[in-house]
Order: sequence, then structure tokens, then C-alpha cells
Amino acid sequence: MTQKNRLSSSKNRGRINYKKPLTFTYGKKTYSGYEGDTVASALLANGVDIVGRSFKYSRPRGIVAAGAEEPNAILQMGATEATQVPNVRATQQELFDGLVCRATNGWPSEDFDLMSYVGKVGGNIMSPGFYYKTFMYPQSMWKNYEKVIRKAAGFGRAPQEPDPDVYDHIHRHCDVLIVGAGPSGLAAAAALAGTDLRVVIADEQSEFGGSLLHSSELIDEQYPQMWVERICTQLREAGNIVCLPRSTVNGYHDHNFLTIHERCSDHLADQASHQVRQRMHRVRAQWVILATGAHERPLVFSNNDVPGSLIASAVSTYINRYAVIPGQSLVLLTTNDYAYQTAIDWFNAGREVVAIVDTRTNPQGVRVQRVRELGINIITGSGVINILGRQRVNAVEVAKLDEVGEKIIGQVQTLNCDTVASSGGWSPVIHLSCHTGSRPIWDENILGFLPGETIQQQLTAGGVNGCYGLKDCLQQGYDAACDALEKLGCKDTPKPSFNKVEDIAEEPAMALFHIPHSEPTSRAPKQFVDLQNDVTAAGVEMATREGFESIEHVKRYTALGFGTDQGKLGNINGMAITAKSLNKSIPETGTTIFRPNYTPITFGAIAGRHCGELFDPKRYTAMHQWHIENGAKFEAVGQWMRPWYYPKLGESMQQALNRECVAARTSVGILDASTLGKIDIQGSDAREFLGRVYTNAWEKLAVGKCRYGLMCGEDGMVFDDGVTSCLGENHFLMTTTTGGAARVLEWLELYHQTEWSDLDVYFTSVTDHWATMTISGPNSRKLLAELTEDINLEKDNFKFMDWRSGTVAGIPARVYRISFTGELSYEINVQANYGLFVWEQLMEAGEKYNITPYGTEAMHILRAEKGFIITGQDTDGSVHPYDLNMAWAVNMKKTFSFIGKRGMAREDCIRPDRKQLVGLKTKDLECVIPEGSQAVNDPNQAIPMDMLGHITSSYWSENLGHSIAMGYIKGGINRIGETVYYPQTDGCVIEAEICSPVFLDEAGERQHV
Amino acid sequence: MFDKNLEKNTIAMMDLLPDASVNARAESPLAHLDQFHSHTNIDTDSISLQEKPFLGHLLLRGNADNTAFKDAIKKVLLCELPKTLACIYTNELSICWVSPDEWLILCEGDKAYKLEKKLREALVGHYSLCNISGGQTVLVLSGHHAHDVLMKSTSYDVADCSFPIGKAVTTTLAKSQAIICRKDKTTWELIVRRSFADYIWHYLHDASSEFK
Repeated sequence: MTQKNRLSSSKNRGRINYKKPLTFTYGKKTYSGYEGDTVASALLANGVDIVGRSFKYSRPRGIVAAGAEEPNAILQMGATEATQVPNVRATQQELFDGLVCRATNGWPSEDFDLMSYVGKVGGNIMSPGFYYKTFMYPQSMWKNYEKVIRKAAGFGRAPQEPDPDVYDHIHRHCDVLIVGAGPSGLAAAAALAGTDLRVVIADEQSEFGGSLLHSSELIDEQYPQMWVERICTQLREAGNIVCLPRSTVNGYHDHNFLTIHERCSDHLADQASHQVRQRMHRVRAQWVILATGAHERPLVFSNNDVPGSLIASAVSTYINRYAVIPGQSLVLLTTNDYAYQTAIDWFNAGREVVAIVDTRTNPQGVRVQRVRELGINIITGSGVINILGRQRVNAVEVAKLDEVGEKIIGQVQTLNCDTVASSGGWSPVIHLSCHTGSRPIWDENILGFLPGETIQQQLTAGGVNGCYGLKDCLQQGYDAACDALEKLGCKDTPKPSFNKVEDIAEEPAMALFHIPHSEPTSRAPKQFVDLQNDVTAAGVEMATREGFESIEHVKRYTALGFGTDQGKLGNINGMAITAKSLNKSIPETGTTIFRPNYTPITFGAIAGRHCGELFDPKRYTAMHQWHIENGAKFEAVGQWMRPWYYPKLGESMQQALNRECVAARTSVGILDASTLGKIDIQGSDAREFLGRVYTNAWEKLAVGKCRYGLMCGEDGMVFDDGVTSCLGENHFLMTTTTGGAARVLEWLELYHQTEWSDLDVYFTSVTDHWATMTISGPNSRKLLAELTEDINLEKDNFKFMDWRSGTVAGIPARVYRISFTGELSYEINVQANYGLFVWEQLMEAGEKYNITPYGTEAMHILRAEKGFIITGQDTDGSVHPYDLNMAWAVNMKKTFSFIGKRGMAREDCIRPDRKQLVGLKTKDLECVIPEGSQAVNDPNQAIPMDMLGHITSSYWSENLGHSIAMGYIKGGINRIGETVYYPQTDGCVIEAEICSPVFLDEAGERQHV
Repeated sequence: MFDKNLEKNTIAMMDLLPDASVNARAESPLAHLDQFHSHTNIDTDSISLQEKPFLGHLLLRGNADNTAFKDAIKKVLLCELPKTLACIYTNELSICWVSPDEWLILCEGDKAYKLEKKLREALVGHYSLCNISGGQTVLVLSGHHAHDVLMKSTSYDVADCSFPIGKAVTTTLAKSQAIICRKDKTTWELIVRRSFADYIWHYLHDASSEFK
């Protein structure tokens, strides 16, 4: 296909490389373009008018802009399923060879589709709030409506396959971050080049220069592109400046933290081979210079959405930067001088300018004069009130306006043309300044919002300040740099990078946003405000008529600015129309606030490397490899990967658990308990400190002994438990739950540092230092005896709740005779580098006892058989020790109080009908009550039933031959022997008897043998 | 070697390394990598990542303003404790500041117990000394791009002006944490916890891939 709108290379002063032709696929067709093109410029060069269907009315839509503000040309990109990317703006996507894309909007195809008929018929009834009003009822059907509506509207889709590319994060710290590399940003950067400051300059476009890339205003008597080139070289060579093209500063967060989305290889290929595709820069900047420029505002008039209707500056950009002239004959509609340049550019490209329609009555500015000299027809005091044509502009209707632009006062004339460029002035790109919560301020002189007051260390320069002359923009950039230097305490005064700049005087623009039609707005052909969301002037007016007065409400009711473009083109017009309709000024009406991100960003860039295996850290014990090699299934406990159970070939999970549980009670089982939190406590007040954080007494715990303790919050509720051993008079080892280790250490430090700093005590985490293996079962003593010579294991010497040091398998060890199974148990601790070695020695020596490794699930069953609680499973932060029937673990007589003592004495905590932890034995011995089941007294009571409490732990006990459960029952401790019922979701009811939670060896003899 | 008279001890101290006569195998936190993942150490001029296993790690806590404490330390270590956010390398030791009352002393693995004993003999009053050699390992990240890899891994500013040679910072590293010490222009030592070592190794490997 020929590029019918491409200017010949002889006329081109633009940025495309004619020597590098590229082919790409858009929809079902293949097109050609050149290196340096965007998809949008290449589509325009090929004469593609329609790039999508509108959201609500399904009207054909064309390219409107040339940058981030584009509302229509939204692409679904990707040559393969895995590389699909939705919501790519054709105006920002650089062309590469083999690029594949299609229009996002317009199911089943952008050229012809179902909705165009619905739109045509339904158009008139699809008023604001149409979806709310029509599809809200019945609510249950919304899920179905939504699918169809979304598909028809279609804002792209996510890939169905994993993304093959690599994304990255990087942290940057700098003295100055310059946002935008247009004239102001470059002038600022040039002034900072070679200083001691660390500077980052980022721009969303493929190359630095901004508007200078398509401008012909001279700097130092040269085309501005030459100046850009010179400055860029200077920045690259300066050494103190990081230049980031293709990098959108998407978010400006608190404390001058900004996020930059860099597209490293999106311009090269569908998939980045061996390189990072996109990188998120997380920047902490001392000072930020916003040089974000301005977006041109289109004017609102009837059928202003017909393909061929663009904003004026975009037309200039396409002509000058991309050597593409998007039509044959142009009508320019403007309220200001600046847009006249577009007519000059069009004229110079050799195509017809039908007329310039200026809403002002007597424009006389410099550019106006230049246009007059070219002999172009200028129709003053008039507006384009309507576009004729459906698939492409055919003609425009032009009429005289009254002085304020509110009424049509003359005859309507029709001008034939295929392109309409409109300019209603400029809107500063204040998005980033808004992100930090700064409210923008309306400026009547520039007819736009300016950045408001800010508490950030932020400076602004150029277009964002409503300053549009080239000379002023450069000057402001330079001034901002000097300002930043001074604020950062630098004495240098840099030389400006420019001397003589062409200064074109402009006359004031007219404050006009919405061109009237001969019919009232509500009856006129649609006048679009927000093209992406199909919000019309009539819709905005209707919203105000229906009582929506706040601009935030108007926004939500009409969906103004809700699209992926965040209303970059439409918002100000929408506010102006709202204001007029409410008979208020724009400042009185106010503005909505922009939020991050400035343009859509991929999930890949947000995730960076934190995905797949690296999504969350996995913590391993020293014996992890052994577990893997021996077929363990793993369970994540916090970030730890713990063996869950070890199935043998052909075994079900329950069979494996039964085997593991029986082994631990009949011979010997072995558990990797390394993940338990371990805190080394040293200091002469260690004992006193323990007494204050645990509920029980620690005064008399002798060296060589261990004791179980409950830890409560100030509210008296249990939050952790564990065994603490007295290693020396001033030395203790505290163990915590696996998940609670970090929190407990913080808790101890917090109380030590803020409340009891007078106590001489230090805490050190030793969780990772010790590898811990528990052998449990009647044969555990015999097994240990085979591996140690220097520990006296005699029953009366090394008692239950004692610890000893010695060697196990030749490795120095501390052995604790404590038990979480109720069996004879030894917890062997060795320096973690020897953990695997000792484990292997135990396995080898234990072979004759059929030593059986067991995982967390069997551990849970074994402890439940004994009624031992697991904090976090049997407690939930709302139970105190008495609720657990653990009064034995509370000492109310300690000299110094303990954390939780007052809390658990509150009136509510001593109610007799509190939920209390009890055991539950099902009538049907085979039946395992699902955890979470609620107990009721009367299974036949009408819903809502009175609920007594829930099951916290429930298992099949192979050792006992029946199911066991623990759970809460209101006043349960006094109801032992009574029956309660557990209604299930399938309608059946499980009957259970309340019993002691100690199902096995109630006397506790087994652990003492 | 062990606590013979348990009851009389105020502090339990023991040599955690086996006697030389014991034929025992020690495994560093990253021992499994070569064996099972075919992840060999990366080692180029631009980026290199190596584990320095089996060092002695002693965590010391005490009051830096206490003259007796400082003098005792100086007597044994033959140097002052590093100032805030600093690390010191001597022939036999490296010491990093960890927090206002906390220092990490690294020495050869088999010297840790002797050093602990010497320190305990010299120190008086309130302090804490803890052998945590099994709980940590040292990763050495070096090369021209080490700095870039760190920029991808920690939010701390690792530029020369903010992180000169001889600085030590305990901070986040990816989604875990590390003590980061800058040994020279292109060499950084990361002291990481045993259980996180595998994650951190893989993260750094991944972040290094564009520089290999």
C-alpha cells in the first residue's frame, strides 16, 4: 500500500528515516512506514481514517492528537498471545518492523460492527447514567450485562499466557529530577550540566526536544532541532546527568518520591530478547523541576468527533516531525494566534487551506499577518458549528458568532474540506503537581489551570506555568535550574544555553470552549467533550439539570475523564460547560484532581522482578534439601517452607499422616523444628524482663530448666507462646511460634526501649543460627543414646523440661527435653551449618527404629491429641489464658505486673459465658467436623440460630481411632459432657459431645518416661 | 568444653564447631545451589557474586558510651568499634556497626569461640555477646556493575557520595534485608540471614543478568 499522505523526502525536515522502511500489521492489513514513525503517524501516512469505535455510541473515530493525550487511537498490541499489551496509544508507540496491532475499541471489527446499529438506534436514548439506569436491575443480572457491555466497549484485554519478558525496578537518588525534555526541561538540564549535582531528566518521547522537534522557531539563528542536538550532546558528556528518553514520569508521590516508567525495548520488537523490556525507576529527588508543557485543547462543536478532526498542534507535529499530512484540504478553527502556525505548516506542505475560522472578531497578531500574506482566507468572528460526514470529514458548517461566542448570529455557510484542526488554547500539564494533593488554580489570563501551592520541593518551568512563548520557556527552564542550584547551596551561576530566540508576539486568546449550534445543545448534533467516554456537552448539561452540581459528581455521572486518557483533552472543556450551565465561574466550579498514573502502565513494570519464584522470599532450613529429596510436600508457614507431610509412593495424604502419627507414638518420629523463633536473651535483668512479658513466673526457674509461657497483649489476649530455657543465671533462650518470631522480637525491643529501659537486658535473634530437630516417641532416648556419649540421658538425671549440652553425632549441641507431642521427646539444636549432617546421622541410626520424618500436619494432629494449642489457629487475638483453661500458666501474684494483667481483668473478660476452648468428640467416631463449623444448642432452631462458637482444630486421629476436635463453646468449660450440634452447609448436622481437649494420656505420663 | 556445672553459670557459652577428630560435614546456607540448580557463581569483570561461607559471626551489644566497655573491646580487638554506619576491616576481623548498641564482628570460623571467650574475659558489666555463625552468610558482590545491581535491589542510595568505602548499612534488600558493607570501589559485602540466602542469591543473580 502506498503512503498517500507521506511528504516526499525532499520536503522533509522531520525525524523519520526514509532509508529504513518498516512494515507492520494493523488489523488484518499490512502497511508500511519508516523508522522514526509512531503507529499513529504511519497509519495517517497510509490514509487510515478510522482507528476505533466509540465507547457508547460506537461512532467511527480517528486519530486526534500526537501524544499522550490521544483518546481514540488505543491499540491492542502483540504478535503472539503471550506478548499482548492493551491500551497502547498509537501516538506514543514507535513503529518497528513486524509490529502487530489492532484497534482496541470496536468489537468485532473497527470498520464494521454490531454496535454501530445499536448506537444509531440507541444513541438518542443513551443519556448520561444510561448504564446505571438501564442495567442496574435486577442486580443478579449485572454480571451478564457487564460481560456484553465490556466486550462491546472493549478497552483491550490481558494476555492469556505468561509474559515472556523481563521487567525491572531501579532506585535512583538525585538532587534534581527534571520532568520533560522540551525547551524548558532542556534549558534547565543544560544549566545543571557539569555541576556537582546529580540530575535525572526524563521524557516520555522517543527523543528529547518536545515541541522543538516539530517547531521552526529559531534559536540562535538555527532551527531548534540543531539546538536540541547540541544540548543533548552536552548532557550526555556532562557526567552528572542521567538522560531517560521513553520514560514517562507517571507518579509524583509524597516526599519527592517519583515513579518513572521506562520502555527500554518496546520500540525494538514484539518481545525483548535477553534484555529488560520495561524498567520502573523509583526516584527520590531533592528538587523536582516540572517542565511538563501543555496540551492543546480541542473545541467542542457538533460532530467534532468525525475522523479527520484533529487538534491543531497535532497536525503540525505530523507534518513537521513525521512528514505526514493527514488530509487534502484543511479548515482551521481557532480561538488564538498560535494555531495559525498549523495553517502555515499545512500550506507549506503544499496542500490546500480552505479557511481559518477565528472566533475572534479582529485578530491582528504576527502569525495572523503571516497567514494573511500567504493569501489564506480568514473568516473572523465565526465558528465551525458542525462537521458533515460520517467516516471522514466532508465539509464544515461555519456561522457568525456573537461577541462572547454564545449565539449564532448569521447565515450558515458550508465549506468543503476533509480535515478540521481545532484549537481552544492550551491546558498546562499539571497532572504531576496534582498527584501530591496540590489543588490547581484557574488563571484567567492563560485560560487554564496552573499548579497550585505545594509542600513538595517542586519548581515549575514553561508550558506547565501557562508560559507558551519559546523565549520565555527557555528562560524559565534556565531560571528553575538556577533556583534549584541556589536551594541546594551551590554558588555556581551557569551560563544560559541560548542567546537569541525568536519572539513572536501574540494577541490574547478568546475564552471559548464550546461553539454553539443553531439548535440548543440538547437538540444539536452531538458535541463531544470527552471522546474516549463519549461524553457530550448535552450530557454535561443534563447532569447539571438533574442536580449534579459538584464537578466530582458530574464527572462520575457522565464518566467525564474516566477513560485511560484521564480526560487530558476533555476535562477543562467539561468543567467550562458545567460552569456555564450552573451559571458559575470556572474557579467556582472547581476541578477534578488527577491521580497517578499519568498514562497507563503495565503490570510487568509494577511487578518488576518480584514475580514467579521471586514473588515472595522463601525461607529454607538447613535440612531443606533432605526434605526435597525425600519427597516432602511443603507448606508455607509465614515465608518458611516447612515439610507438610512425606507421602510414600502411592500413599494418600491421610495415609501418610496416619503412618507419621503412629510412628511418633509407637517408635520414633523426627521433625524439622528449625523454623521456631529463637531469641537469645542476656543480662542480669533477663529473668525480671521475662516475668513482665510472660503471664507466669520466672523467678525460680533454675539453670538447666525450661518452662512454657504465654505472652499476651495489653488487652490480655494471647498473642504468642513457647518454651523458654534458662541457659545461665543471666542467659535465656526464648522460643516463639514460627510466624510470630519477628513480631515477638519487636515486642520485646519495644517494651525494653520505651518502658523498661532501666532493665539490663539484650535480645538477639538466633532463629537462623540453630538447626533444630525434634525426635519424639518411646524410642527417642535409645536413638539419642547411640549418638551421644557425653550427655547423661538417665530418666532421673535429664528430666522432662530440662536441657543439657553435649555432642550429638560429634557435633556440639544443646538438647532440650521438651515435647509438643506429649511423648518422650528431645529437641536437638546444633549450629545450622551442621544441621543436615546431624539429621542424616539421626536418620541412619534411627533406621532400626523405623525413624519416621513427620511434617507440620502430623505435628498438628499429635499436639491436638494432647490438647496443646497453636496460637493463631486455636487463638485469634480475642482469647485470654482463662478462655483457654490455662489458668495454670498465669501468676497473678508476681511482684511486678505483667503485660495483659489489667486487660484480662476487664469486666467483659470475666463473664462466665465467654467462649472457652474445649474438646469435641463426635457421636459418629468417623466423622471429622470441618474447621470453622459453628456450634448450636438446637439444630432445629430457625435461622438466625444462636451460635456458641466455632471449631478451631479438627483431625482424624489414627492413634485414637476416632476424630478429635478443639473449638470454642460459650461457657464450655462448665458444659463438659453436654451435646452440641454443628449444622453443615449441605444440610446435615454433626452431633458432638463437649469434652476435655486432652484426648490422649490425660495424666501426662508419656512425656515423663 | 561444656558447661560442667550448669547451675553456677551466669552465661552459657560453648564452642559450636566439632572437634577436628570428628569427620563431620558442614554445609553453608548456599551449599545446595551448585549441587542441585546448576547455578554456578557468576564471575566476570562486570559482575561477580560469591559466597564467603563458614565465617565466625559474633553479635556484640553494649553501651558505646561506657568507657570500660570501649576499653575492653579495644584491648581484645586492637581497634575501636566502628562509628555509626561504618565498618572496619583489619587483617583478622571485620566489624560493622549495626545499630546504636550493636556491632557484628566477623572472623575466621574456627576463631569465633576463642574470640568470644577473650571478649567475655575482658568485658565487665552489662553487654551481650552472641555467636550467630550458623545464622548468617556473607555474599560478595563485585565488579563494575555491582553498583547497578544494588540500585535494583535496595532503596538505599549506594552512590559514592552517599555510600563511600567503609560504610555499613542495615537495610532492605529486595524483599528481604542485609547488612551492606562497601569494602572498596567495586566490592560490596552483603551479610544475609541463612534462611533468606537462597532468595537473595537468586534475586541478585536475576538482577545481574543484563551485565553478565
